[in-house]
Amino acid sequence: MKKGNIFSPFKAIRHLFRKPKTLKYPFEPKEPARRYRGFHLNDWDACTGCGNCADICPNGAIIMVEIPEIKPEPGKKNQRPKLDYGRCCFCGLCVDICPPGALSLTGDYFHIHFDTKTFSFIPGDEKSDPEHFVDPQNYSLLKASLSHRKKNFPGFSPDIEYALFEPERVPMPQVEPEERSLSFIEQVLGYSEKEARAEAARCLECKLCEEACPAHLKISDYIKAIYLGEPEESLRKIYEDNPIPAICGRICMKHCEAACSLSVRGEALSIRWLKRFVADTVRDYQKALQQKPAPSTGKKLAIIGAGPGGLSMAYFSALKGHHVTVFDSLPGGGGMLRVGPPLYRLPIEAIDKDVNYIKSLGVEFRFNATVGKNISFGDILKQYDAVYLGIGMTMSRSTKVRNSEKCILALNFLERNKIREKVNVGKKVVVIGGGNVAMDVARESIRLQHIQHPGEEVVTSAVSLEDWDIMPANKEEIEEAKEEGIRFNPAWGPKDVLLDDKGNIRGLLCMKVKRVFDDAGRFSPTFYEDQEMILEADTIIEAIGQASDFSFIPKEMFDQLKFTPRRKIQVDEYGMTSLPGVFAGGDIVNTNLDAVTAIADAKIATEGVDHYLSAIPIS
Amino acid sequence: MNKEFKQELESIFRDITVNITDDVTPVIAAAKPQILAILRFLKDKGYGHLAMISCVDWLKEAQFELVYLVSAYLKGDNEEPGQEKITILLKTRIDRDNAELPTAIPVFENAEPYEREIHELFGIHFTGHPRLLPLFLEREYKIPPFRKDFDSREYVKEVFDKIPFVEDKE
Amino acid sequence: MRELELYFGPQHMGMVGNFSITLKVEGDRILQAISNPGYLHRGFEKLMEYRTWIQNFPIVCRMNVVEPDSMEMIYAMGVEKLAGLEVPERAHYLRSVYLELARVGSHLFGLWAYSNMLGFDTVAQWAMYHRDLVLDLFEELTGGRVYHIYIWPGGVRRDFPKGFKDKIVSALHSIGGCVPDYNNTFFENRLFYDRAKGIGKISQKEAMELGAAGQVLRATGMKYDIRKIQPYAAYDKVDWEVPIREEGDAYSRILVIRDEMIESVHMIFKLLDVMPEGPVYHRIPNPFKWTIPRGDAYVRIESSRGELGLYLVSDGGDKPYRAHFRTPSYPHGLIILERLLKGASVADVGNIMISLYVVAPEIDR
Ligand SMILES: Cc1cc2nc3c(=O)[nH]c(=O)nc-3n(C[C@H](O)[C@H](O)[C@H](O)COP(=O)(O)OP(=O)(O)OC[C@H]3O[C@@H](n4cnc5c(N)ncnc54)[C@H](O)[C@@H]3O)c2cc1C
Repeated sequence: MKKGNIFSPFKAIRHLFRKPKTLKYPFEPKEPARRYRGFHLNDWDACTGCGNCADICPNGAIIMVEIPEIKPEPGKKNQRPKLDYGRCCFCGLCVDICPPGALSLTGDYFHIHFDTKTFSFIPGDEKSDPEHFVDPQNYSLLKASLSHRKKNFPGFSPDIEYALFEPERVPMPQVEPEERSLSFIEQVLGYSEKEARAEAARCLECKLCEEACPAHLKISDYIKAIYLGEPEESLRKIYEDNPIPAICGRICMKHCEAACSLSVRGEALSIRWLKRFVADTVRDYQKALQQKPAPSTGKKLAIIGAGPGGLSMAYFSALKGHHVTVFDSLPGGGGMLRVGPPLYRLPIEAIDKDVNYIKSLGVEFRFNATVGKNISFGDILKQYDAVYLGIGMTMSRSTKVRNSEKCILALNFLERNKIREKVNVGKKVVVIGGGNVAMDVARESIRLQHIQHPGEEVVTSAVSLEDWDIMPANKEEIEEAKEEGIRFNPAWGPKDVLLDDKGNIRGLLCMKVKRVFDDAGRFSPTFYEDQEMILEADTIIEAIGQASDFSFIPKEMFDQLKFTPRRKIQVDEYGMTSLPGVFAGGDIVNTNLDAVTAIADAKIATEGVDHYLSAIPIS
Repeated sequence: MNKEFKQELESIFRDITVNITDDVTPVIAAAKPQILAILRFLKDKGYGHLAMISCVDWLKEAQFELVYLVSAYLKGDNEEPGQEKITILLKTRIDRDNAELPTAIPVFENAEPYEREIHELFGIHFTGHPRLLPLFLEREYKIPPFRKDFDSREYVKEVFDKIPFVEDKE
Repeated sequence: MRELELYFGPQHMGMVGNFSITLKVEGDRILQAISNPGYLHRGFEKLMEYRTWIQNFPIVCRMNVVEPDSMEMIYAMGVEKLAGLEVPERAHYLRSVYLELARVGSHLFGLWAYSNMLGFDTVAQWAMYHRDLVLDLFEELTGGRVYHIYIWPGGVRRDFPKGFKDKIVSALHSIGGCVPDYNNTFFENRLFYDRAKGIGKISQKEAMELGAAGQVLRATGMKYDIRKIQPYAAYDKVDWEVPIREEGDAYSRILVIRDEMIESVHMIFKLLDVMPEGPVYHRIPNPFKWTIPRGDAYVRIESSRGELGLYLVSDGGDKPYRAHFRTPSYPHGLIILERLLKGASVADVGNIMISLYVVAPEIDR
């Protein structure tokens, strides 16, 4: 390096004539960058109150506080994060973990105040906290603070690609539509251990699901056990609240997954399939669970109906030491689930695995025993200390249009296909209905067609009053039905079943639907009389709803039985009906009409029955 | 680090294990009395840079693990190729109750502050060290603070929770 | 003459950062110097044992305020090595660009410190202004000016925003364009030359003996740079040189810093040219369930001050069992400084200390 000339520094003198680089702050403020990590912004509508932000904060700067004005609902707690800016280091981990992407940072970073309490605050956004957010033209740097913030001042915001959670599910191996529509093999193949652990690893443990589940399973605990590679521990956790995991692991309506915080911007945790994984992996329930019923109380409980409700009731009550007998007209347990959901969704072995475990606890099952025929209701009331009604809805409704008696009713169709010999279907089948039962029927029908008419052209179409947007069946059921080739005719209503001269079905005459519900939201369909269509058919199946069969209850007793305005049996907080000692639950009580709600009802009634029985002397 | 070097080490020093899990960070585990000799040996073999001395408190096993990280400087033209990529982890375990070790300063002068720090934070004594004075801390601690049985959260509660919040003062 | 004990720093005009030296002097000759670190001891390594693997990521950068980025990098590398995480190709390039920007920013800060301490106020102002341009880039990329919290295990936190390449290029041009002025006013300025030449001289042998690395060693003629020796990120993807000097004094150290800065600017241009497209982040496991198998790892990189290492231990849990950083300022500030000050004049204390490029927070951790 050459020693510089002593005058060389003066070469830089031209800098004197340049414009200064400094800003005239605060008259000329510096705009923060688009990704600036300033104060928080929380979209209250999107925020689920899951608390993941509080859990990840490295500085404990976030606590969750209850906001009484917000009404909690499934998938949403009424809690919102509260920030302590004395602790916050503006790292933005809370933004990257936030499952709904509600939390973000802004360009605001000024807050000067003598009251240190003001540094703790609950961030909102322009919608939830309008008075503290001002328009850019009214915004003044001199007033800038946590209560004087600029509108539309975005900073570091969530980006799903960089989220700290995994938004995508481990895909469930399934039989492809082309293959599965040819037989009744189970469609879902189940996770391998590796897949299950990878899926379980996605759970953020925020427990929104547990509040949404009607039976309040300890979901995050049993998922964690799967993640840790302890399926037996997981099974024990499940059995605390649900004694039919092999069944529910396949057909549960999964209220939990709808509430899962991951589902907002990604796919919900596959809670149902994980339960199934546990139920299928643990071969020997007895060994894993090691349960022993309490010493006998000497009290006798009769349960009518071996559906999910009856089974749960039997399990919980047996554990409490009561003597339990279950009556059902079917040849095995499971109730509607034994005969309703097709084999490709719920095989009989899975049902029997659960039922057999309950049997092993000493529960007495009397199958092929219809109350009212093989044994009278009166006798049961005499012989037992308490009775639980879990009789479900076992009768299919008919459209009652002209010639409808020529049609097949959904439940008959499903039951025969599942546990008796299969129904013969024609090449052109029409299914009336747009609910889940109709989907089951249609998808069974197309399988039967492929088996019974191999190589020939066959059609199964579905007709529903509801248009796509309000079709009651689950989205995935509709999707899978479409994949298998079911043709949908939404917003058409049946008018007449058309017969040929031999009296055989020839087709279905339909009318275009105007509206399904009236202004008050009641079901009351109206039609365009002039728009008609004929669907050719040789077989028509009606799947428009079910009803209960109370005929076994003697009239004078039935008259005392109280019903709700929605024609459900009225029960008190212990699950007891207006008949003393007669409890009820499941489809005859709740309006969810699914298995897990039947379990939830049974859990309530178990306590009720236990109280009731402990109050009466041993007979 | 190659096989021959491993064999050479194992033939010279008794009771040491040389574990070459990856190419760049071989691990040598040895007993306390051999440490200085091994360090000197490594230095003679060209590993002349003591990158640092670290210490891990294995509370459950009631041991401290001293880890000497040595690597090589560049030696101009007659270099053994690849040697400069290697950092050797020389480990030794000592009893927690009798936490004492000879200083490595005679071999590596820059061991001085590292040992001083370990003495302060873990309470390990280095015999022959010329100034085992406190390096960072100003208070006295009942347990040297980087030991696993020193609970910082407890300590913070004890010391700082007694100071009232600004708001509560009025 | 009488022997005096003199406290130099932490409040002293010639002292950059919270650090102090106790001097035993006779006249203006220093007989003995004792480094006193600890003013910034926050016990980070202990704090890290209480935080999960991901919670440590926003914290490690705070160990070195001047150049937090290398800290992020070394932590990410340690975790990646222990947990066996993969990093996408493009992220390697982004990391290199980002780290080189950090080096430029850090060297400008060093230039500010040095020129400011010696009274070259104009140069100091320029250096600060140019460092601000780099900080603007960081703000644009990461949302933070000082603590960027950008490199995390599995890649980087966000891709370049739109038009960012152009902004890098224009900022670096304006810095590079000022190099002749820096030369005229500072590096080749006679006043500075006379002040720094021959001061704080160390031989290569002694530097090696005392565990030096970085500019301190490179100014004695050894091309010791971890980026070359054991390339990480994308440092083996483009051509670049390791600048060295032979003399081993303060002047050659600052020239190495200058040359390195210029080399970094060139390297960034090259990296920007060959950077591939693609993802920049390979998702880490669920932070609430993330555990790392039992084991330990040592990783090292070339921070702007020299060899930065991390010895990271996991006991199989969700938090580090032990994290220990080998920071370049540690040997430089604690041993070499004491050696070089012995026999020097009191007026050169700041001069020598800053030429060793010591940052105190990095020593204390
Ligand atoms: C086709 C179809 C598919 C379904 N799919 C699903 C699904 O995927 N997921 C889901 O959660 N839910 C599903 N459901 C609903 C689910 O089956 C019911 O909500 C649930 O079974 C209700 O349980 P429960 O305990 O009330 O009684 P049920 O399961 O309805 O069981 C009642 C039992 O009582 C017996 N019984 C009735 N009267 C008498 C008598 N007098 N004497 C003796 N026994 C009697 C019946 O034989 C029957 O076995 C489906 C329903 C149908 C029809």
